[in-house]
Amino acid sequence: MATRAVTVSRPRPHGMQFALGARAILRGVWIAQRHFLRNLWGFIRRKPTVFTVQFPEERLTQPNAFRGMPVLVQMDNGKERCVACGLCEWACPTDCITIYPAETADEIERYPRIFDIDMSRCMYCGLCEEACPEEAIVMSQNVEIAAFSRAGTLWHKQDLLVPVDQLTDTRLYHVRRSYDR
Amino acid sequence: MPTITIDGQAIEAPNGAMLLPVALENGIHIPHYCWHPKLSIDGSCRMCQVEVEGSPKLVIACNMPIRDGMVVRTQTPAVQNARRGVMELLLVNHPLDCPICDKAGECVLQDYSYAYGSRQTRTQEPRRKLEKRKDIGPRMILDQERCILCRRCVRFCREITKTNELGVFNMGEHSVLDIMEGAPLANDYSINTADICPVGALESKDFHHKLRVWFLTKTSSICPSCSNGCNVTVHHYRDRVWRMMPRRNDAVNETWMCDHGRLTYQFVNSPERLRQPLLRRNGELETCDWEDAIAATARQLHHTVRTNGAAAIGAIASPHLTNEENFRFAQVLRTLSVANVDVAVVMGAADNFLVKAEKAANARGARDMGLRPATGRLGLSEILEAAANGTIRVLYVCGSDVCQLADRQLLEQALANLECLIVQDIARSPLAERAHIVLPSLTFAEKTGTFTNHAGRVQQVHQAVNPPEGQPSDGEIFSRLLNYLSEARSTFEPAAVLKEIGEAVPAYAGITFARVGPMGWAIGDGQGATAGASV
Repeated sequence: MATRAVTVSRPRPHGMQFALGARAILRGVWIAQRHFLRNLWGFIRRKPTVFTVQFPEERLTQPNAFRGMPVLVQMDNGKERCVACGLCEWACPTDCITIYPAETADEIERYPRIFDIDMSRCMYCGLCEEACPEEAIVMSQNVEIAAFSRAGTLWHKQDLLVPVDQLTDTRLYHVRRSYDR
Repeated sequence: MPTITIDGQAIEAPNGAMLLPVALENGIHIPHYCWHPKLSIDGSCRMCQVEVEGSPKLVIACNMPIRDGMVVRTQTPAVQNARRGVMELLLVNHPLDCPICDKAGECVLQDYSYAYGSRQTRTQEPRRKLEKRKDIGPRMILDQERCILCRRCVRFCREITKTNELGVFNMGEHSVLDIMEGAPLANDYSINTADICPVGALESKDFHHKLRVWFLTKTSSICPSCSNGCNVTVHHYRDRVWRMMPRRNDAVNETWMCDHGRLTYQFVNSPERLRQPLLRRNGELETCDWEDAIAATARQLHHTVRTNGAAAIGAIASPHLTNEENFRFAQVLRTLSVANVDVAVVMGAADNFLVKAEKAANARGARDMGLRPATGRLGLSEILEAAANGTIRVLYVCGSDVCQLADRQLLEQALANLECLIVQDIARSPLAERAHIVLPSLTFAEKTGTFTNHAGRVQQVHQAVNPPEGQPSDGEIFSRLLNYLSEARSTFEPAAVLKEIGEAVPAYAGITFARVGPMGWAIGDGQGATAGASV
């Protein structure tokens, strides 16, 4: 294949652009200074918590759109809403979900006998939540997956259940709005 | 032959053929629910409507005989509108069970809904409530709400099994699929109704709520349960077999298979499966290395031939192993000059449709490979008698079918008098408990090879699931034995062994996997090869 030279003309920066760049630099310096001075003021007043959140005693409240680890919605009767349809398992790009379905005598014939999420593989993409036809798996605001062993990062069904009341106004509200349900 | 034009494509078709099968065979897909290639025409679903030039209305393709010069159009606005209308009416009452329905993923209604339906529903009335999860037989359940009344299952029970269990009751909007009072759907072919059901109304209890179908990988294979050799597809996932479904082969099983055969896959997943070879040391069976077990077997066989002669060894071959494996076994026996060999084939009930009396897939193949008593040599019962009276000192048994065949007392006496019992089997069995050397064997789903059915049709099984790492197939065990016992340096490659069979066995002359193909290859009654009539 013959090579073809392409001449790219790059316009030289305009005088005005230099001015804008200088403004951005000054702005950056101003922000850093402001943070430094505010921190310093807190330090002088012996209140070092102006910026720093004292985790784990304190935790930030995340917005509803925040995607933490996926959890299972627990209905008022204590059972999971999940019917083990397997769509999240299929949608999951990291294959971190494992479901084994089984039959119950309830009206919803089917439930997950085993529902495991390997949190060390989960990348919080939220595709499971988007695929779910039952609003049974949603992203929570929890991102704390630390464990003492790899086995500890495998979350079973009982670890994943979150009562529906805790989710209705937060993530479920967001899901219903953003996915046009 | 009449020539017709479908969507501008000129097609030649035999006289009297119907439009729908002709279109499907030529790669033009006309959607349909009630039509099935092996059942009579019903014309109840109205999904296959097409436009035929000169006809005032749309016609259903399944019941439209072709005639010369016919011009058919399948994609006009009128046709698309009719399809959308049919879909809308079918979905008026169809429950939104897709997340819990076993059919989801292979459901024709679901596929056509995406392809031909509309995205919105216009009805606000509640869907009709009917019986769900109705127990209609030992192997089947019925969900009446999901049924779209295509009547395929009704025609199956009327025309194929001729048992007439299923019927559509009431009329019009009140039509409902059901069984007759007190007559459950219990025929030997009942699970086929789940296969032909275009929706999830009829479901097999065995696969109910087991796994979503889109996870399954499909491997074509042969049913191991009897000598008919029904063509099947093994559905597997995570190295486990989840179900078997029939695969169309008009020369063998059309599109059907029996329930018993379909459910035999379960032994592949059994927790009782043997995975490590066992050697008897100080009276106890202990696990050991593969190399040790095979070397011990070879040593035992060699020692017996040298001290007591080849007549002191008896071999009982398995009709469950592939032709390639049995060919290697025959080579091992020939190397040792052992002639006391027979195949243990369990016989059972047969019907005049698919089920055959020989309850093993490859009994004929084993005999073709030379594992049958030569004239003047001992057959199965004589081998056991010889073992009982001490003439045969060592018995090499493949499979445990012999336990079901032989007289219990005779078998007991034979086992008690043996110097060494070598058992090669897939699972722990009473026979294996008595053995001195136990070699684990692989099932049809874990290996590649050929089976020969009762009519002499050679058909291929493909490996579906992986055996545990390091576990050799039966053919490898025989090959390694052969290497111990002779100068041979043989390996076990099914394709190469099949070629050897083609050279050594006259009836199989010229056989290769490519010639066997997906549809099988018929041997001409020992007269050399004839081309398999593929469909």
